[in-house]
Amino acid sequence: MIDEILATLMNVFRSNSMQIPLIQPIVDYLMQIPLINILVALILWRPFFAVVIMPGLAVLLLYLLYIVWFERKLTARIQWRVGPLEVARPIRGAIQALADGLRYFFQEAIVHRDAHRPYFVQLPILAFIPILLPIAFIPAGNAVGIKTPYAIQLIVAFLALIPITIIAIGWASNNRFAFVGSVREALMYVAYEIPFIIAVISMIYLYGSGDPYVAVEKQSLVPGAILNPIAFLVFLITMLMATSRLPFEIPEADQEIAFGPFVEYSGMLFGLVMVLAYEKLYIMTLLFVILFLGGWNGFYFEPLGDLNAPLCLFIKTVVVISIIAIVRSMYARYRIDQTLRYSFSWLIAFSMVALGIGVVLGWIL
Amino acid sequence: MKVEKISRSPIAELKRHVDVIQEAFKQALIPDRVTVEYPRERRIYPDNLRGFIVLDRSKCISCFRCAQICPANAIQMSLYDNFYPGVDYTKCIFCHFCVDSCPTGALASSNLHDMAFRSLEEMKVKATQMTRLPTIVREDKQSVEYFVTKKDWKLQRKKELEDISVLRIIPRIKPRRAFCEEPESCLGCRQCMEVCPHDAIVMERCEITLGGEVIGKGCILKVTEKCVGCGLCVRQCPMQILALKEVE
Repeated sequence: MIDEILATLMNVFRSNSMQIPLIQPIVDYLMQIPLINILVALILWRPFFAVVIMPGLAVLLLYLLYIVWFERKLTARIQWRVGPLEVARPIRGAIQALADGLRYFFQEAIVHRDAHRPYFVQLPILAFIPILLPIAFIPAGNAVGIKTPYAIQLIVAFLALIPITIIAIGWASNNRFAFVGSVREALMYVAYEIPFIIAVISMIYLYGSGDPYVAVEKQSLVPGAILNPIAFLVFLITMLMATSRLPFEIPEADQEIAFGPFVEYSGMLFGLVMVLAYEKLYIMTLLFVILFLGGWNGFYFEPLGDLNAPLCLFIKTVVVISIIAIVRSMYARYRIDQTLRYSFSWLIAFSMVALGIGVVLGWIL
Repeated sequence: MKVEKISRSPIAELKRHVDVIQEAFKQALIPDRVTVEYPRERRIYPDNLRGFIVLDRSKCISCFRCAQICPANAIQMSLYDNFYPGVDYTKCIFCHFCVDSCPTGALASSNLHDMAFRSLEEMKVKATQMTRLPTIVREDKQSVEYFVTKKDWKLQRKKELEDISVLRIIPRIKPRRAFCEEPESCLGCRQCMEVCPHDAIVMERCEITLGGEVIGKGCILKVTEKCVGCGLCVRQCPMQILALKEVE
């Protein structure tokens, strides 16, 4: 009975597995060992590989370790400081984020008396659902979780759910700073969501489909950033707004409301809520790379086989985020009214122009 | 200079955005930072920056000038074979008036600017500890030097280590000796004799007539060859008739 189930599972996994010539001898060797072989087959199963390994959860954690350190180091460099240095000095403090994570893990997570206890503890974990669900729909070459022609629309829909969890986190904290932060998050949500969705729709019109495969195939010659530069710009600015980065760091404003909705969190729960914005940035940048920078089009090495596409997508994403991280040290924070005025006048106007360009180009192409 | 109104036209705004992006990328690639990673690098200070005070006991004449000039009252003279100064670093303000006032150049500055003590008691450095530099634990692997011009700041890292040593700049003072300006005003109180650390002042018999005529050697004081010109007697004399005079 168990043998039959295992055999069926093996058949399912083997029929749709990643072909990587570089590690093929190791895989062949491991396939001869019972029980290990089903694990290896599961890891190399394309939907599992896309969601859990690359561009999914495993590289997301790697990216988090990298970007927290890189952003601090880059900001320090531009502001004439040194930045994190003393943890692992020979590599200039590169495992600072890991050390911080370990510290959060062993720190006491305090739930204060006025908080709504179930929501306060649950919501940081629940917030991961809308963040991790889009990964199932983001394809990278052959590795894809759920293949659907409406993937881009679905990713945008799930991204729109994230601010709701952040607002709920602020509400459950029952703190005046958290409340102010929640309201600001709601205002920012109103400000960025409309131009963002219009910019994505303009690209969907341009490519004629919400399928990332079609989008990437149509960018094989000219990337989408050149086809529709205004949508590119609007997407970039709304991405900064959505992930509450400077100059739009309004909900989390450290100097005014002390990290906004997350002010009451400590320990592991704070570690979870702190990385929310970075994870959201990762998902949005994956979408950005697929829509504007040619997705997984790029290098092709024979020994890497199916790994080429996820690797290319991941490298492009990390490079784009590393360039975006520089914005943090360039601009001062806008006021709420300035941001809302800017977004409802210029950004919506630009996104309408982008929509026009998208419709016209989609009709021509 | 008149402050001009900032232009808010879209072209000027765009130019400012381009400027800030350019500057940020420039700083990200080659930052102009001037941070010294302190224990591993040591900044080279100019030679005349005041540091730890070092004493040469063979030159010290126990004149107490350093103790008397000290504005923070940080110098205590203590008795060994003679009186020697000891610096209390809880009080010392590193003005180095003592070094400047020393007539023989017994006190000198050093390049050692960062000192650490285990307790408050240890900060009262005695004369025996001042004769040499304290034990130095050097963690620095390289030296750093600032070059500041009107236009820019630059930080230059050098592979070689900075040399920590005593800077003994001996003041150019001609030898002096005490002498009596107005022998007829002398009270004969003998305070100068008692204060003299070298027993340089001896008393000789003399008489002064009612007419003001001095019989004998002229004064009860005689300053002998032992005088080093410390000026203690000059400060002590209640009639202020003693003075220092250069010796040919």
